[in-house]
Amino acid sequence: MTTVTDPARPVVKETSGPPAGRRRGSFGFNTVSPREKVVRYLLLVFVLLITIGPFLWQLSTSLKGSGEDIYTRIPKLLPAQPTFDHYKAVTDTIPVWDYARNSLVVAVLVVGGNVLGASLAGFALSRLQFRGRKLVLGLFLATLVLPGEVTIISQYVTVREFGLANTLFGVALPGMIGALNVLLMYNAFRSLPIEVDQAAIVDGANAWQRLVYIGLPSVRGTISVVAIFAFIGAWDDFLWPLIVLTDPDKYTLTVGLQYLSGTFSNNPRLIAAGTMIAFIPIVIVFATLQRFFFKGVEEGAVKG
Amino acid sequence: MRRGHLAPVAALAAAALTLAGCGLGSSDESGSSGAKPTVDANAQVTGEVSFQTWALKPKFTSYVEGVIKAFEAKYPGTKVTWLDQPGDGYDKKVLSQASAGQLPDVTNLPPDFALSLAKQNMLLDVAAADPKLAEEYVEGGVQAYQYQGLDGTFGYPWYLNTDIDYWNATKFAAAGLDVKNSPKTFDELLAAAKVMHDKTGGKEYLMSRLPGIGDFTNAGVKIVSDDGKKFVFNTPEAAALLDKYRDAYKAGYLPRDILTQEYLGNSKLFTQGKVAWTTGGGNAIQDFQKDNPSLKGKVVPSPALDTPPLYVQGLSVSAKTKNQAAAIALARFVTNAENQAAFAKIVNIFPSTKASASDPYFSKSDGTPESDAKVLAFESLAKAKVLQPPVISGATNDFIGQQISLAISGKMSSQAALDAAVAKANQLLTQ
Amino acid sequence: MRYNRWFTPWVLVIPALTWLLVFNLWPSINTVILSFTNARPIGGGTFVGLKNFETLLHDEQLRWALLNSVIYMVVCLPFLTVFPLLLAVLVEKKLPGITFFRTAFYTPVVASAVVVALIWQWILDDRGLVNGLAEKLGVISGPLPFLSDQWLLLLSAISLTIWKGLGYYMIIYLAALGNVGRELHEAAAVDGAGPVRRFFYVTVPGVRGTMILISILISVSALRVFSELFILSGGKGGPGGRDNSVVMLIQQYSQGFEGNLGYASALSIVLFFVTVVPMLVLARLNRRGAEA
Repeated sequence: MTTVTDPARPVVKETSGPPAGRRRGSFGFNTVSPREKVVRYLLLVFVLLITIGPFLWQLSTSLKGSGEDIYTRIPKLLPAQPTFDHYKAVTDTIPVWDYARNSLVVAVLVVGGNVLGASLAGFALSRLQFRGRKLVLGLFLATLVLPGEVTIISQYVTVREFGLANTLFGVALPGMIGALNVLLMYNAFRSLPIEVDQAAIVDGANAWQRLVYIGLPSVRGTISVVAIFAFIGAWDDFLWPLIVLTDPDKYTLTVGLQYLSGTFSNNPRLIAAGTMIAFIPIVIVFATLQRFFFKGVEEGAVKG
Repeated sequence: MRRGHLAPVAALAAAALTLAGCGLGSSDESGSSGAKPTVDANAQVTGEVSFQTWALKPKFTSYVEGVIKAFEAKYPGTKVTWLDQPGDGYDKKVLSQASAGQLPDVTNLPPDFALSLAKQNMLLDVAAADPKLAEEYVEGGVQAYQYQGLDGTFGYPWYLNTDIDYWNATKFAAAGLDVKNSPKTFDELLAAAKVMHDKTGGKEYLMSRLPGIGDFTNAGVKIVSDDGKKFVFNTPEAAALLDKYRDAYKAGYLPRDILTQEYLGNSKLFTQGKVAWTTGGGNAIQDFQKDNPSLKGKVVPSPALDTPPLYVQGLSVSAKTKNQAAAIALARFVTNAENQAAFAKIVNIFPSTKASASDPYFSKSDGTPESDAKVLAFESLAKAKVLQPPVISGATNDFIGQQISLAISGKMSSQAALDAAVAKANQLLTQ
Repeated sequence: MRYNRWFTPWVLVIPALTWLLVFNLWPSINTVILSFTNARPIGGGTFVGLKNFETLLHDEQLRWALLNSVIYMVVCLPFLTVFPLLLAVLVEKKLPGITFFRTAFYTPVVASAVVVALIWQWILDDRGLVNGLAEKLGVISGPLPFLSDQWLLLLSAISLTIWKGLGYYMIIYLAALGNVGRELHEAAAVDGAGPVRRFFYVTVPGVRGTMILISILISVSALRVFSELFILSGGKGGPGGRDNSVVMLIQQYSQGFEGNLGYASALSIVLFFVTVVPMLVLARLNRRGAEA
């Protein structure tokens, strides 16, 4: 039953196949003229100015001394009395490491679930023919618009019935395979040239082998996107872990950071420091994974 | 055959309604009028009891732990499990606990949360179990946990707070106003706002707050009908108040952006030094100065205009508690005069027990503005009233706010906006 | 040896499908049922037939919300389809420090709502950055009411959405660009195509599928916008609630202990039908384009 032909044709190959034997970068496509470099950096800095404001504001607030006005008319970027006290205060106030570990457990489960589940489903939906394929695909698309605004309490009741209330697994569970990620993977697999698959079939490769040896290596970029989205979604979520967890030892970082803003006291500098701490892992994950966006083809199985 | 087809559908619908959050539902307990405790007054206070507070960790960890230890020592054989929930999302957390039938035995609930749970028979009428309640706690605090249409008192008042006025002395001086002689009524406030606007060429603002239900109450407007079934605040007096605000807004006495400001907008603007007046609790000066040290020495407190608002927090006991005797004992113990007074000394709140009224700590100032403010607030408590009835929350509150800002913006007449607000609020009340 | 058994695709799809059914479809069915009741968050509710939907018809705020949502979509769609792609092309090339730029461009996506609110209010309020600059330059005589005028507030929220969306869609495009393959660019370069021609004849067709997916995502999320309007209107939906989106209305009605889950669910269903339309149109575009 399972064949490779897919009605939704990949677009890339229609333009032209890669000419055989041509070496990558052999004629200076990748070199940049000095003028282009200047233009590019100017543009980069311009966009940087637009995007980085909140980050800087947070960073500088977290470093400002207790005697400094943080609500000046014109925000001051450089702290007059820079100090790391607030970071220390955060780590003294709450067990940052324990909370971060809990967050990490949830994030790893969610990332793993999504990478695995979305890749499998995305591959099947785009590269394999089977009855009901269109229907399943339609369901995933429909999920994007399904009304999900008023469901959080019923979601909790479901997780509780699975016996997972107050567990980190219960926090991770609903987000472990996101429909959007399935669609992203579907889209990525779909843009691979069909010819490769056909060649593999001729060689006697089955669906699993084509997935593992041809499919996955070629869509690493999208897998990293899925991983990033899943990680950030799990790491930043506040309301859901709050509802599922009762035991403070199991709190994730976002929930735990709430201890920084109490009923009778609010120190924006402290909260900013906490937010920065929660921000670091996101930066690390992003910086690590982003390079995979650009390797997919270079190292993939697509050989002319 | 027909039944065979319908049964799954009905089951599905029933399951869905359960999932929607009723969980334990009121229906299975209906028939009982309010959760009257059948507690034996002589029942042994012993065993485990859970206790939930709201955003007290980690600042007051040692205080709460101390109280718990003292309780366990007083009643040997008891064991208290303390849960503290983060500040954000507390309503959702309590809702999910209630839906799952897992409300802690003793829970800190503000009056409006308690109202909804009491309506579903989820809370114990503590007055029935503890006849001395009315004698030992101040009237305003107890009343906050008694509701129109419900029989009983659904929480021990725990601590109280109120608002007083704060003025920025520098800005007063700049406008040639005397901060020692600050406005005492709403009309004086308006007049001062005009002076401040005119003298500074429109650069400085005094007022930065939209009127709300509390202001209507203060203007003598009745908010809810006596039987609690209808909103009635669309009176000419309320409209006249909105008209005054509208005119002031139009003349530029208020910053334009307040139409979309959050609830805490004016104290934030005050902290930022953008406006010269705000309301705040007895400890607000410390907060202003912490966020903006340049305000040090420039903030002058005075009593609230008209009737000060009363804010109450309380401890409610779950109707489903398996250990009623210990739960009631704990709620009473945490809120007793001694423990409240100790709490009030480490944080700026006021005890809800009558015995604390004579404590000089609250009634004598040491002369600093911070201390003045605390004493002012404590004195205001005697006059303070709950200005916003607890039935106004959620969508009702939002809708009323939207109509008020529409009237202030001048896009709709005040009366028409109030009529719309009342119509919608009534619809939400009965739905 | 037969590897391609009929159930292989199902084995691959079942996990994702299970999640979909349990955590998306089932709660949605629940919502449909709730929309015919007057349920509150606690205590269940009773069946009220079509009453919620009758109320909907006369709900003036819903009309504003729908209008706002449509405007939102129409404005966001072109900007967010194009700018993030340009941005992706800009950061695609390896230059010293490029990782820093890529990461920095993504930060608005993960910035906390509180900070975003502070920054944008500082930029947009009556004495904010924009008004201050414009007044200094003499472009305007008085400050523009970005945060208090019904339409300017909507426009401000749209800019906020676009600002936040840049980084988000940029990385989806980046991954897609990686799939395009350098060979095509090289081939085109050999044929004498300049950067602009290469962009239109190689890059754009190469990411066409992604572009369609992204435009679906943009329209859906524009129609379901919540946080930006919530932030800029102080959570209240502006004067008279005329700057609400449908999701904000849903949130207002379902919040708290006395939330009106029945009506909120009915609103969710309206939203469902509203979002399905552009999705179907775009999905059809996709198919036609793919077949061409």
